[in-house]
Amino acid sequence: MSSLHAHTLDVIKLNIALPNGHRLLRNVSLTLEPGEVRALVGESGAGKSMIGKSVLGILPPNVAITEGEILLEGQHLNMMTPPTRRKIVAQSAALIPQDPLTALNPVRKIGPQIIDPLVRIQGWNAREAETRALDLLDRVHIRDPKRVMQSYPHELSGGMRQRVLIAAAFAPSPRLIVADEPTTALDVTVQKQILRLIRELQQETGTAVLFVTHDMGVVAKISQKVTVLFAGKVMEDAPTREVFTNPQHPYTRALIAATPSYADLERPFSPVPASLIADLHAQIAQDDLLYRGGRI
Amino acid sequence: MSALFSVRDLRLSFPDRAHKPLFGPAPRNEVLKGFSLDIPEGRITGIVGESGSGKSTFGRVLVRLLEPDSGQVLFDGQEIGHLDEAALRPLRRDLQMIFQDPMSSLNPRHRVWRIISQPMKRYGRGGTKADAIAALEKVGLPPTFAERYPHELSGGQRQRVGIARAIALEPRFILADEIVSGLDVSSQAQVLSLLKTLARDMGLTVAFISHDLSVIRHLCDHVIVLNHGEIVDHGPVVEVFEAPKSEITKTLLSAIPLPELDDDWFDEA
Ligand SMILES: Nc1ncnc2c1ncn2[C@@H]1O[C@H](COP(=O)(O)OP(=O)(O)OP(=O)(O)O)[C@@H](O)[C@H]1O
Ligand SMILES: Nc1ncnc2c1ncn2[C@@H]1O[C@H](COP(=O)(O)OP(=O)(O)OP(=O)(O)O)[C@@H](O)[C@H]1O
Ligand SMILES: [Mg+2]
Ligand SMILES: [Mg+2]
Repeated sequence: MSSLHAHTLDVIKLNIALPNGHRLLRNVSLTLEPGEVRALVGESGAGKSMIGKSVLGILPPNVAITEGEILLEGQHLNMMTPPTRRKIVAQSAALIPQDPLTALNPVRKIGPQIIDPLVRIQGWNAREAETRALDLLDRVHIRDPKRVMQSYPHELSGGMRQRVLIAAAFAPSPRLIVADEPTTALDVTVQKQILRLIRELQQETGTAVLFVTHDMGVVAKISQKVTVLFAGKVMEDAPTREVFTNPQHPYTRALIAATPSYADLERPFSPVPASLIADLHAQIAQDDLLYRGGRI
Repeated sequence: MSALFSVRDLRLSFPDRAHKPLFGPAPRNEVLKGFSLDIPEGRITGIVGESGSGKSTFGRVLVRLLEPDSGQVLFDGQEIGHLDEAALRPLRRDLQMIFQDPMSSLNPRHRVWRIISQPMKRYGRGGTKADAIAALEKVGLPPTFAERYPHELSGGQRQRVGIARAIALEPRFILADEIVSGLDVSSQAQVLSLLKTLARDMGLTVAFISHDLSVIRHLCDHVIVLNHGEIVDHGPVVEVFEAPKSEITKTLLSAIPLPELDDDWFDEA
């Protein structure tokens, strides 16, 4: 079944909520095709990371899926038993987490942190795994891969830690990568190299990437599709080209306007207008009144 | 315009364990290679450079979380580079830092208001719940956030709590290490205009480490470009960005992903 299915990921009308009924995602739908990069943008707290966590089955314990489907290569993840689901996800999907320091174990060297999952989950032998780890560290432009494998996380700069996590995510050639702001700690030169690498690896292996970012510049360069999220609700889902030439939603336009322009120094920092935010919240409150899904 | 910091021949190295011989000490990995510069008071100085070039290490020397191997760090005329912890204590409130990695710097077992109020109390700058709520308001978070725990916040909300905690102490110097890279563009715009206003109104001196050169250009008065622990460009931001002296700066400027479609971008160097 999975081989016939064209999409790497389908998220269909996903709703997640806190125990008190507070909704964090509201009927979110999106798809990813093999080799596609979909950018996920929206304000802080919009629920971008929650989408990634839902897909990977790593939601915090107090957050539950109340309605909706998640299909990974056509397989219904939320109909599986937790152990089956964990196995499928570990084998075919990977996360580049948002917080590079807390994602690494502070008391273990970098080497085993990349190698162990390759041995344990992918079933590689230790030598293959080490070769792959060194190769990937080299490809993310870590200057001295051997030194880094021997280092503890606190001995690396922020950008090096982030690249270690990128290398670890790509090492098993997963079908899907959830990249949660993967280049925020990188200088623009390395960022460009990493974005190029993501494109290369994608073309080699057909990996699809759900790319969470705040940077509209990065969106313009790396993605083919864009999902704009506000308060857990999709405001706009469109090809990247459309978003930059003819953005449909006022919130999308406001996000683009909030991006500081390199060229125009006269333009002040311009947050999304409070009036627009208030309007959007009012609409969402209306939606919530009508919504009864997932409740008794 | 006077200098808040004067740094002279600053050197710092870390032991390099990967290349340690079987016997004897590990060789040292030189991270700051003996540079000198002034950081002007009441101004925002940007620090840029590639990943691993020594930006955070330099910043940590300024707020004296690290002691240099050699060289001088003058803060307001006083040599602080080699002071011990006891001698640094009266200076700690003045030298604040906002961290790159908010989750690891916020106590996970404390509510937000306590995270903000504890250092205020320690330094005798108030520290009631109302003080904490006022600080939250300055960074655009509603009072209800005072009762939350760090894990109940999004990455961006956490970063704003870190900013609130630092500015609540009314320090003279703030090291801001990648503080907006985790924020959405709208909160970035809020925080940056806030920082700009605070720096102006409070006469605050800020060292602002960032990879976002558009932000640096809008926010900073001066900029330092580091490369492998050396300064390769330094001066007013307009001058450095309009007429960069070093190839490093030119390469950085050419790699900025501008928010516009460009099919050939990846083919360019
Ligand atoms: N464990 C939790 N319990 C309750 N609420 C939570 C929890 N974790 C996150 N939230 C809330 O869920 C919402 C969505 O959070 P999420 O981390 O997905 O945001 P985000 O879009 O990734 O934001 P950012 O850009 O700041 O990372 C936020 O309002 C956040 O405060
Ligand atoms: N505690 C430490 N022990 C050993 N080496 C360290 C330590 N801290 C930093 N380094 C090394 O010093 C160099 C500079 O690191 P630093 O964190 O200052 O870089 P940075 O310019 O801030 O980079 P980034 O942009 O990635 O944050 C790196 O090679 C790093 O591995
Ligand atoms: Mg997030
Ligand atoms: Mg750093």
